[in-house]
Amino acid sequence: MNYTNPKIRDGLAAEYVLGTMPERARRRFEAQLKTSPRLRGAVSEWERRLTPMAAEVPELKPPRRVWQQIQRRIHGDRAPARAVNWWDNLGFWRAATGMMTVALITLGFFLTPAVTTPVAETSMMVVVMDDMQTRSPAMTVSWEAGEAKQKLLRLRVIGHAEMAPDTAWELWMLPGGDKPPVSLGLITTHELQTLPVPAQLGDSLDEAWGLGMTVEPAGGSPLGKPTNPMLYMGQCVKT
Amino acid sequence: MTSPGNEELAALLARCALSDQRAFEALYQATSAKLFGVAVRITRRKDWAEEVLQESFVKIWHNAGSYDRDKAAPMTWMTAIVRNRALDWLRRPREVQASDEVEALLANVPDEAPGPEDLAELSARSGRLHECLEQLGEDQKRSITLAFFQGLSHGELAVRTGKPLGTVKTWVRRGLDKLKQCLDGLDLK
Repeated sequence: MNYTNPKIRDGLAAEYVLGTMPERARRRFEAQLKTSPRLRGAVSEWERRLTPMAAEVPELKPPRRVWQQIQRRIHGDRAPARAVNWWDNLGFWRAATGMMTVALITLGFFLTPAVTTPVAETSMMVVVMDDMQTRSPAMTVSWEAGEAKQKLLRLRVIGHAEMAPDTAWELWMLPGGDKPPVSLGLITTHELQTLPVPAQLGDSLDEAWGLGMTVEPAGGSPLGKPTNPMLYMGQCVKT
Repeated sequence: MTSPGNEELAALLARCALSDQRAFEALYQATSAKLFGVAVRITRRKDWAEEVLQESFVKIWHNAGSYDRDKAAPMTWMTAIVRNRALDWLRRPREVQASDEVEALLANVPDEAPGPEDLAELSARSGRLHECLEQLGEDQKRSITLAFFQGLSHGELAVRTGKPLGTVKTWVRRGLDKLKQCLDGLDLK
């Protein structure tokens, strides 16, 4: 898609803000947004134009617990409140559900070796998975995006998770849309672990919406699909 | 967007950027009902809307420093955060939504937010935008409001309206073109 033509750029920004862009196009567009200030400008313009539509929506007082949760999440956060420049670059972590601190710590942890080797620019995929019951971060997963022969997931389990006897933890790729989860294999409760990705999934993994983890019978789901709801889940973020 | 005082909200955001907790609380008091309304309208589920509001405010707190008052009014900036987050929720994989659906039944959430089809409600308050929307054809207006509040793609809009994909795409594109001309102050005739 030609993003340099101002008219096309403006049209795409409009459809992006409105929400009509199909998923794949949206992802491509978001990747472009990272590197193009002009495109970001066009998006802000359209947000300015269209967002007032929401002014018509009637007000509704949220329950008290929402504020309490927000407080909890912010106070559990030991990062400096503003790491401004860094922050801007990582603006596209946006969707990482506010779990920035953990994501940053993880990145710092995993990127350190990568940075010291003078490799061509590679981007990392990062997923901060929340415990769906407590709504707090429970696991992070990262890997190098792109065409590696064999992708390797680096996992970090946060806190001291315990696995019930005769059960297994199974990690799933959630492709997005109405496509079913695809198994990535079984994992452990160890704080740090790595998991090789089946070769045939390598490419689709970079495009996935997110990752999830379910508790399955020992040995993994016998059905090839989750037999329980997602216990941990998070969205993929490209950095 | 107007009131409660753009100046005031911008000042609160500036203080949030300096980690001022009390400013953050004041900001929440001033804007959460409006933003929760937006989240409920888009997700149509109060439990999801609570999550969306929560995540949005955590994000607002962390990103207050990057708010630029030259680019957007404070309420526009915050509403865009909430709307984007809400649309992300709606775009979650269906499989995952399915188990949530059961919880929703249990939670018995009333649908208090009027539907986006209810255009009569698009009344005077958003002023200029409203006037401009009124200048669109019925189909263009309907496609744009549906997409705005539900994040429907062209394909989904086509299914919803029962019209061919090409037709829907044209409605949306022309509608947006006209809106832009109108909002940016060019004469439509």
